[in-house]
Amino acid sequence: MIKDDAPRASPDALLGQAEREGRGKLRLFLGAAPGVGKTYAMLQAARAAKAGGRDTLVGIVETHGRADTQAMLADLEVLPRRLVPYKNRLIAEFDLDAALSRAPSLLLVDEYAHSNVEGSRHPKRWQDVAECLKAGIDVWTTMNVQHVESLNDVVQRITGVRVRETVPDTTLEAADEIVLVDLPSDELIRRLAEGKVYVEDMATRATQNFFKPSNLTALRELALRQVAAQVDSDLVERMQGGAIEGPWAAGERLLVCVGPDAQAERLVREGKRLADLLDAPWFVVTIERPGATLDQAAASRLDASLQLAKSLGAEPQSLVATDIPAEILRFSRFENVTQIVVGKARSRRWRAPWTEGNLADALVRRARGVSVLVLTEGEPAPAPAWRLPEPGGWAGYAAAAASVVLATALGTQLVRFVPLPNVSMLYLLAVLAPALLYGVWAAILASFLSFAAYNFFFIDPVETFTVARPHELLALAVFLIIAVTISAVAGQAREQMRASARRTRAARRLYAFTRTLSALPDAGAVADAAASEINAATGRAVTILRPDGSDLAIAAAWPPDDRLDVPARTAARWAHEHGEAAGAGTQTLPSSGWTFLPLRVQDSRVGVLGIERAPGADPLDAEVRTLAAALAEQTAVALHRALLSTEVRSARTAAETERVRNILLASISHDFRTPLASILGSATALIEYRDRLDEASREDLLAQVRDEARHLDQMVRNLLSMTRLEAGALEISRTWVDVREMLDRLVDQARRRGATQRFVLDLPADPVLAFADGTLLDQAVGNVVNNAVKHAGAGASVTLVARAQAGGVTIEIADDGPGIPEELRAQVFEKFARLRTSSADGGDSAGLGLAISKGIVEAHGGTVELLPPDATRPHGAAFRIRLPSEPGTSA
Amino acid sequence: MTQQTVLVVDDELAIHRFLKPALTAEGYRVVQAMTGAEALRLAAEARPDAVVLDLGLPDLDGKEVIQRLRRTSQVPIVVLSARDREFEKVRALDLGADDYVEKPFGVGELMARLRVALRHAKPSPDDGMLRSGRVEVDLGAHIVRKAGREVRLTRREFDVLVALMRHVGKVVTHSQLLREVWGAATDGNTQYLRVYVGQLRQKLEDDPAAPRLILTEPGIGYRLV
Repeated sequence: MIKDDAPRASPDALLGQAEREGRGKLRLFLGAAPGVGKTYAMLQAARAAKAGGRDTLVGIVETHGRADTQAMLADLEVLPRRLVPYKNRLIAEFDLDAALSRAPSLLLVDEYAHSNVEGSRHPKRWQDVAECLKAGIDVWTTMNVQHVESLNDVVQRITGVRVRETVPDTTLEAADEIVLVDLPSDELIRRLAEGKVYVEDMATRATQNFFKPSNLTALRELALRQVAAQVDSDLVERMQGGAIEGPWAAGERLLVCVGPDAQAERLVREGKRLADLLDAPWFVVTIERPGATLDQAAASRLDASLQLAKSLGAEPQSLVATDIPAEILRFSRFENVTQIVVGKARSRRWRAPWTEGNLADALVRRARGVSVLVLTEGEPAPAPAWRLPEPGGWAGYAAAAASVVLATALGTQLVRFVPLPNVSMLYLLAVLAPALLYGVWAAILASFLSFAAYNFFFIDPVETFTVARPHELLALAVFLIIAVTISAVAGQAREQMRASARRTRAARRLYAFTRTLSALPDAGAVADAAASEINAATGRAVTILRPDGSDLAIAAAWPPDDRLDVPARTAARWAHEHGEAAGAGTQTLPSSGWTFLPLRVQDSRVGVLGIERAPGADPLDAEVRTLAAALAEQTAVALHRALLSTEVRSARTAAETERVRNILLASISHDFRTPLASILGSATALIEYRDRLDEASREDLLAQVRDEARHLDQMVRNLLSMTRLEAGALEISRTWVDVREMLDRLVDQARRRGATQRFVLDLPADPVLAFADGTLLDQAVGNVVNNAVKHAGAGASVTLVARAQAGGVTIEIADDGPGIPEELRAQVFEKFARLRTSSADGGDSAGLGLAISKGIVEAHGGTVELLPPDATRPHGAAFRIRLPSEPGTSA
Repeated sequence: MTQQTVLVVDDELAIHRFLKPALTAEGYRVVQAMTGAEALRLAAEARPDAVVLDLGLPDLDGKEVIQRLRRTSQVPIVVLSARDREFEKVRALDLGADDYVEKPFGVGELMARLRVALRHAKPSPDDGMLRSGRVEVDLGAHIVRKAGREVRLTRREFDVLVALMRHVGKVVTHSQLLREVWGAATDGNTQYLRVYVGQLRQKLEDDPAAPRLILTEPGIGYRLV
């Protein structure tokens, strides 16, 4: 019996295990500080492994000139380093490609946290290691605890030293084994004093600060805890994988909201710490207002935070919305988030009181059933410059002036009927109008103009600028306040309207794009359309690459030129092979000037979309990025569809070719049978009845063998010509041919072959010379004659006309037989276009004759046509062949 | 012996060109037709002793010519057919043709088939006995003898043998046999036939592995000689 509530293996845990199968195993030698002997420990273990028969390769090991470490390397195979030119120097780096192609069983890669020199495939060494693991190579590596991403802040607090080279926690968690290499603090300090510890890039003072006993103890504790945590999570995973029941963390889910400000990074790290504490999955979102563009510094800060979040194991998300708190709450409901982490920013920008003000407050006010954690500000970040909106165009100022003039004009009329202070109301309107329509600058101008006009025209002393009483200044203040607030509100409304219009446009564009793509017949056309459309949407150069054999080839580019340099191509290939984005703005080959998005549909890789991101150019704003991603997705689908339909088409073509081949074979076997039958029959008759046949019969039988053999030969030649014509390999050797002689000969041949028709030759007295290949022309015209003999009927008459004309020769072959049915006229010159009127054995050609005639005549630069019936020839078929007298001039 | 007349029907002049001298040399009188209509007219006028008929004719289907001929005459018909048109061959035999020769053919083969067809067209004495070589069937007494010795056959075997004996020298198609032995309502399973013919061969042939009495026409039927 099966118990329904029996513990089951958690799918996630099983998936994790499955993912690790086939991958190499990662062993990490973790130390608390430099100098504890990680590299030494690793090499020691490697020697043991090698002695145990493992294929061990030292990918890269820094000995820092220490003799004992150097000695450990003695028996091990060491991979030569790759020299990378950087700023007039050659930097020796780990040679990833060589390691991958050497494919050892065990690879040693020192200093997990190392940053590769610019221009390497990956910016970080741990990414190189990841690729080796993926290739099934076991990797041993070393690292100090201070390089762990999530501990970065803690380490900085403890030691006061900011560590720049960090390793994401996820890659650490992926380590199969962590070996803690520990050394008591005093021992380490002693070694440092003896100069046995190499510390890179640290000023002496900093070094002294760093290697304080208290620091070292704290770092050792951190390292021990890290290892303990790893052991713990291993245990949990094994329990889940083995379906062991146990207390699991309640379903906490964390959402961290970050913006482009300086505290984003801290928020992310704090989020990671909280997520670890709660053992909760966590998200990091950033929300941009539609149309808002960030300056480059802010955008790259934001990008960096999101990358950090990703490396810490969060799922980063970029959203676009006008109402930011609402969008955050919508997202958290959708993802079942239980806690929202948000920073409390000191609002430096002036905000209208009815806008949400501070995001934290708004979230606290509006959230239901979700805890909101507000983190207070950390170190003061440099205050961003306060910026006013861009000044508008001249139209706004003109409108402001005009509205003041109008108000003044009205006021001078009104002042006769109403008390003076009321006239100032008119100026309120004069400020209101530009504020609503043209924004704050126009409104401010209107305020000043109104104040001046009011002062000048209405306040005593009239027509002078004097401010006699304080309430007049009050008027100016009121004007200004109204100008700024109204324009702010109106501006926001305008912006929202514009944004929604933009969204509508984007949606419409996407829809139109999808429709355009779906109508295109082949992958090439799809790629072209997609490239120009994405270029229009993003304003960047776009390239679409598609797999071509083992490499990628440019399928389309807009602007249409090949701008991809070698690093860009490498990034494109990487994106294609790994199915992940690569190039600028990603973790792989970020120094490339292009961002490449893989185009894939389910499991099939259809290509790569490249968007240029030239150095110094603005990063794409979130809205455009989202649009580009959507367009890329549609492109992938369309390409996939086009490829499939091409496949279907080629399958269909293959089937059609097969069908034609079958018809050809059937026709040929049939057509060859008749001459063969008469040759075999005649020959056997001669053999069997030689003595009983009279001389004339014997002669006739022999002649028949000869004639039919010729007939066979003619058919073989026709077939060969057809093949050559189709292969474009027909050789033409021209001489002057008298068409009259040729027609005589053809008629004679037809008669000898049993043609019963009456032949009428209408030929001029002078030679009709064509500059042509005699044998081929014989064949071409002979086929038309044979066609007439075959289809015109036994009693028909066939008329052959030849004329020499200016520029060429015309030959007409007409019969008065039943003619060719209207519906077949168009296909008369096609292969296998055979009249099916006669029965199975009728006719003696594969329906190739006229096709060959056409091919040969056209190869001579001439034409052959089927003439429509006319008054002089009401029925029957008539063909006209024109040949140019000069080679190369067409008739 | 009077000279026998053979009607040759073919739309190919080339075939006539060698058949006529060969048939003449063999001692036949030859009548030639190029179309189906001409063939039917000549068959009525010249009363040929045998017809050599090409199935592919410009005006009429060769099978229709057989049908029309059979309405009025039992003249032996040898069909000339293309090798890749098995179905037509079978249809022609079913409609009453006596034999077929595949194009291209040697004159000798055609002559042999023609001779057999002419021989078996001669009315056999109607004494309730069927004979072929050393095998004779007494229809009345339901007795089969081979070289004078009685051979015991099951009822089905007997029926199959009689059907073949009635058309001795002629190709009898599978469907023809099935129809004659099992009646009209058979579903055309030629597997039965193979079994009964096999048993007949066991009982009647000198060497059942190399039959000389009941010959197989692959894919078409059997012929008893």
